[in-house]
Amino acid sequence: MAVFRSPDTSGRVTALLLRSVLYSLLALGLIVVDKRYDHLGKIRQYLSIVAYPIQVAVASPFQGWAWFRESVTTRDTLRADKTRLEQDLRVAQFRLQRYEALEAENIRLHALRDNTAGVAARFVVGRIVQVDLDAFRERVLMDKGARDGVFIGQAVLDSGGVFGQVTRIGQLTSEVILISDSTHAIPVQVNRNGLRTIAVGTGDSSLLKLPYLSTSTDIVKGDLLVTSGLGGGFPRGYPVGVVTDVKRDPAQSLADVSVKPSAALDRARELLFVWLKESDIAAAPLPDPKPAAPVAQPPQPGAPRP
Amino acid sequence: MMRDNRSRALPITISVLIALGLTILPLPDVLDAFRPDFLVLVVLYWAITSPQSGGLALAFLTGLALDVIQGVVLGQHALALVLMSAWATNLRLRLRVFPLMHQTLSIFALLAGYQFILFWVDGATGNPVTSFARWLAPLTGALFWPVLAGLLRSTHER
Repeated sequence: MAVFRSPDTSGRVTALLLRSVLYSLLALGLIVVDKRYDHLGKIRQYLSIVAYPIQVAVASPFQGWAWFRESVTTRDTLRADKTRLEQDLRVAQFRLQRYEALEAENIRLHALRDNTAGVAARFVVGRIVQVDLDAFRERVLMDKGARDGVFIGQAVLDSGGVFGQVTRIGQLTSEVILISDSTHAIPVQVNRNGLRTIAVGTGDSSLLKLPYLSTSTDIVKGDLLVTSGLGGGFPRGYPVGVVTDVKRDPAQSLADVSVKPSAALDRARELLFVWLKESDIAAAPLPDPKPAAPVAQPPQPGAPRP
Repeated sequence: MMRDNRSRALPITISVLIALGLTILPLPDVLDAFRPDFLVLVVLYWAITSPQSGGLALAFLTGLALDVIQGVVLGQHALALVLMSAWATNLRLRLRVFPLMHQTLSIFALLAGYQFILFWVDGATGNPVTSFARWLAPLTGALFWPVLAGLLRSTHER
């Protein structure tokens, strides 16, 4: 190195060139290894621990502000909230009575068909860390990671419907790609007639498209789309969106169908990580009727699987 | 030279951390595309003013941090930052004596080069972002340069 420290300018330029080539090759090597092989996942998991304090430091003023606003709400607001929540709970419990009976019946029927794919078994609640990841991609950072058992490809829901899936995990954090990201696609089913297709994201968090339906397909405005459970990534039967517009251009062979997502993709704060039920239900006797309630009451992380 | 290195280490660390925070600060969607690449500006500033202590190693490490935080392929930002700060270090003697207008234009070229490398790696790894909005950041970044250079200069020139 002493040679490169010489006051001779051309020597410095050579050293700079040499070092920049070295660092660039190192970076290119990282890109290739990270893209082609899976070895860097663990390294990234631990590197993300280093990034966590910065992310928390940036997010904390926003969380502090939310906490402050919550703690200075008036008595009247709290009472109004309580009344509303009690009403919601009553409605939810009323629905749950039927849900449990239906779930048991459904499992019996599926046991007959030896098909148990995609029933949600366990939920863990995670919060969105308030940081921006990338201006051009629809992704959020969650405060649950490998330590909490989160895995890549895991389905994530919010109280309205399907939110997205986990793309990367760190020790303490994980990254979730929204169903509205332009590189995301999710298998769905029209609730009314069982028609199966794929909903793809557009990069706009209030719009999905169904690009693979022909103009003669039976689909109308207002149809509810639910997950079909095909592919095994998402649990079956959760709402994905509602058809808002169907354009049938006779000159085209495919219809142009717009869908509004059911999940609050741009507003949600807390999300549910979903573990799918193992496919051993068919072997087991009929389950005790304690299914996972999707929204009303997420079981604790440590709860045994039903 | 040693004394110089030690006195620069603190402002460099602090400015990089603050820039990292500004990079992930939540902004409304409308403003998000206009966010200048704060970290790149800071790294370029140190590459120009003190290439001994804030040189390619700094560029590589901060680039890696950005890769981890933004969840893109490892090495992408590191590559772009290393190449652009090597260029900036190479041009530093001229950049330091340029009038502000010329300096800002050169910074725009460097920022555009940075975006182009990101764009290229995005495409090469099968993850392209086709929106034109990505070319807004170099523009706002160059406009922000005079302010940032003034701020950073006040940390080490009394």
